[in-house]
Order: sequence, then C-alpha cells, then structure tokens
Amino acid sequence: MAEGAAGTTLTSRAFGLLLRPEASVVVVSVALVLYFQFANAYFVSTANVQTLSQFVAAPVIIACGEIMLLICREIDLSVGQVFALAPFLMENINDVGVPEPLAIVAALAVCALIGLMIGLITIGLRVPSFITTLGMLFLITGLTLTISRGYPANTAGGPVLTGIMGAWAYSEIVWALAIVAVMHVLLRHTRWGLHTVAIGGNLLAAAEAGIAINRIKIGNFVLTSTLGGLTGLLEAFRVGSIDPLAGGSNIMFLGVASGVIGGTAIAGGAGTIIGGLVGGIMLGILQDGFTLQGINAFTFDIVIGAAILIAMIANIHLARLRGGGPQ
Amino acid sequence: MSEAKEAIRAENLVKNFGRITALNGASMHVARGETLGILGDNGAGKSTLLKILTGFHQPDSGQVFVDGRPVRLASVDEARALGIECVYQDLALVNGLSVYHNLFLNRELLWGWPVRFLDHRTMRRRAIEALAEVGIVVPSVDIEVGALSGGQRQAIAVARAVSSQARILLLDEPLAAMGAREAQLIIRLIERLKARGDIAIVMIAHNYAQTLEICDRVMLVQHGEVTFESTAAATSPAELLEIVRREYRALRAG
Repeated sequence: MAEGAAGTTLTSRAFGLLLRPEASVVVVSVALVLYFQFANAYFVSTANVQTLSQFVAAPVIIACGEIMLLICREIDLSVGQVFALAPFLMENINDVGVPEPLAIVAALAVCALIGLMIGLITIGLRVPSFITTLGMLFLITGLTLTISRGYPANTAGGPVLTGIMGAWAYSEIVWALAIVAVMHVLLRHTRWGLHTVAIGGNLLAAAEAGIAINRIKIGNFVLTSTLGGLTGLLEAFRVGSIDPLAGGSNIMFLGVASGVIGGTAIAGGAGTIIGGLVGGIMLGILQDGFTLQGINAFTFDIVIGAAILIAMIANIHLARLRGGGPQ
Repeated sequence: MSEAKEAIRAENLVKNFGRITALNGASMHVARGETLGILGDNGAGKSTLLKILTGFHQPDSGQVFVDGRPVRLASVDEARALGIECVYQDLALVNGLSVYHNLFLNRELLWGWPVRFLDHRTMRRRAIEALAEVGIVVPSVDIEVGALSGGQRQAIAVARAVSSQARILLLDEPLAAMGAREAQLIIRLIERLKARGDIAIVMIAHNYAQTLEICDRVMLVQHGEVTFESTAAATSPAELLEIVRREYRALRAG
C-alpha cells in the first residue's frame, strides 16, 4: 500500500514537472538537436557547440534581468542600448588614463546609474516603464553615437583580461551560466526574489504586508541595466571591436523572448531564471540549426515569432492544467 | 462598562470626506474572546469605522482605546504594532506563491551570513503547525494559493493574521461571495479563535442570519450612526430587518 502511494506521488511529481513551462522547452530543444544533427552531422561538433554557446550567452544574461522586471510587472526596452554604450564608456574612461579593469568597473557603475535613473523616473514620476525605457532607448542610442562619433573602436587590455572578459571561446557562456546560477538563487532563495514575485502577483497584498515595493522595483532596473552593460562588454571583448550599433533592440527582444518562452508571465507574478536559460538555448539552437541548413535570417525571424507564439499559447494552457498561476 | 478584558473601544467617532459625513458619532467596544458583528448597508459607514480601527483613516474627532488606554492610530503599521490586524476579502494573498510563503510574507525566516537565504524548511514546518493550530486543512503547504478555494484562501489569510500575534482581528466581509460549505469553514475557524479567549474579533457582514450565528453581539450602522446594538441571543434576523425597513420607509417619507 505504502509503496503504491509513494509510486503515485512520484508519478504525479513527474507529471507536475513535465507541466512546468521549462520542461516543455527542454523537450522541444532536445527534439530540435536531434533533428538538426540528423539533417547535418556537423551540428553536434566542437566548433558548432562553441558558436552556439556564444550565440546563447548574451540573450541569456539579458534575460536574467528582464525576467526579474517582468515578474514585478515592469520591462526595460533600453537594455540593448546600454549594451552598446558600455564598451564606449570603458574605452573613454580607459583613454583618460584609468587602468582597464577599473575602467570596466566604472563603465558598469555608469550602467547601474542609468538603471537607477530609469527606476526613479518610473517609480518617482509614475511613468510606465515601457515609456521610460522607450525614451531611454533613443536617448542612449544618441549618446553612444555622439561619444563614438559613429565609428567603431578596438578593445584594449592584456590577454588575460580580454580572455576572462570574453575573448576566450567559452568565457562568455561561463559568465552566462555563473550569472544564471546567482540569479536563480536570488529569485528562489532570497527575500528579494520572493518579494519580486509577490509584487507582480498581487501588488495590494505586497503593500499590505509592508514590502518595500519601490526599492525592489528600482533595484531590478539597476540589475537589468548593469547586466546589459556587462553583456555589451563581454561581446566587445569577444569580437575584439566595439560597434556603436551592437546589441540594440534585437538583443533586448531576444532576452525578453528567452524569458517568455521559458515561462515568464508578461502579466507578472511568475517566472524562472532556468526558464530564461532554456528559452535562450532553444532560440540559439533554432537560429544555429537553420543557419547550418542554409536558411536565411529572414526565415529565422518567422521561426522565432512562431516559437514565441507557440510557447505563450502552451504556457497559458499548461498553467491552467496545473490548476494554479494567474487567472 | 470598563471590563478588564476589554480589547478595543471607540467613542464618538466622526469622519467627514469633504461634504459627506461617513461617521457621525459612532461608538463601539469589543472584549477578548468576544465577536462583534457590524451590519449595515453599503455606504452606511461600517467600512469607514473599520478603516479607522486599522489606522488607515484618522477620525476628525472621537477617541480609540486599546486595552483601556487612549491611542492615536496614525497608520496601519502603528495599529499593527498594537496587535490590530485586518483581513480584507481576497486582497491579502499572492496567488502565485505557496501557502507557506504567503503565511510568512514579509516576515520570512532566514539563515546564513553574510547573504541571508530563505529558510524554506523551517517556514514549511511552522506553517503546517500554524494551520493545524487553527484547524485549517489544505492539500499541502507547497501548493500555490491560487489553486485553493475562496474559503481556504480566506482561512489562510486569517491564519496569517493570527500567527502574526494579532490580538484584535478585524474581518472585512469574511463570508461574502462564498458557498455554504465554504462559509462553514470560516465560521468554524472563527469559533475556534473565539474559544481561545485571547482574541477580540470584529467582523463586517451583510447576512443577518449568518452574523447572528457567529457573533456574540451585533451592531447596526446606518447613516454614520450606531442605531441598534444587542447581544445576538436577544435579537433575530426579523427584528434587524424590521429596523432597517423602518429606516428606509422614514427616509422615503422624509
């Protein structure tokens, strides 16, 4: 009897796990890998896995910030512009004689300040973050173009520093996985994460319970901008040059899409960092696989759009199957 | 009238919102172990009275006493510090969070240094204990609150208020929009809390029969004044209805 009961719990647990949005994305990803490997034996090769890891890393790091914001019912549209600005900040600070490692820290500090500004405008002046960051998107683009005069530049720094910061083939994915680990713990195992979920789930209840809503929202804006800046730096070091038109809305949407495909609710109150990771990996597999098959970038956009739609439809109905989630 | 057990008393509360008088000299009192039901139509002033007791509104005049001492409830936090907790209909819980996270919302137990982590294990255990103490049955404390019924959610909200050391429990329409079985869940919970003897309960309600069943004493609030007060045993739904009808007729005649 007891064995049977334990068996039932195990089955229902396994069933519950399969109903999680991340799980369905993992299943789809594995199926895609099998398909692409079947179509092109080159897919699972060292060189391609390296390419894949580099493509996946940036959206996943961006997703970590966006997921926190989406969960507490905010969004940052300007994170891709902070991505482009950060390397130029670093170079300009480096040019006035500040050592490269300090210049990196200083550039990230400026990115954090941008996040703080977004947070203060959104919370203090009660502007929806969609609008605040839409304004910042144009503002920062202009700033980056002004600083760079529209020209690309080269990254400075010794081999160790550039290696750590992205030039080594796998450094960017190591950064991404480390950030995913830290952010997962932050979201699931600290008050900060729990309160972020509470704010998005029921703002009134969070306020009733005395949760510091403004502090948490502003903090998540700071986090997102800083992660955006860091991603921009990593990409600049990997490529070895700084492009004023790097990142942009494309990387921001890839980050948001990774989160949403991985089960983050646009309406707030639910989401996981692991979901963002598997969502990002799935998008990477799709793009990489289609590239290997010789399908062009235009088709990829059709596929990514369809993937987001399917994932969203699936998630909404899976949430109902689980019997919980936002109603 | 000043019993030793008296938990909260309000005298001659007046509250105006612009030209509208919400409360016009209302008084109330409730003792530990006692349950007071406040009845009245929408806009009669019972919510304003409740919100003064929670510290959400401040009266224009009148005085509130807690444990016989005059107090000024300048904010919800100040009222809470005095052991006054209010449970609002469906506002209190986060549906996407588990039962135990809801019970400990913003009072989370933590471990570790220098970074403080959530102590999920201890919170789970304490949540199970706290729910057992007030006799609330849920499938699991890990389940998302959104998956529970309205009655179970309300019960958990009450349990949270009680486990946060509430000594004066204010319930805003605890039985509204609830089926008979669900309502029975809350009625039993209130009865158990009453039996503990250390908690004073004030509840706002619409249903006369239900209120008389649960409460020791009832008050009728009409146009900002307490027009009728009685022990539950000494009155009936018919009498309460008659008083309200008489008022309504007088209003139409005038």
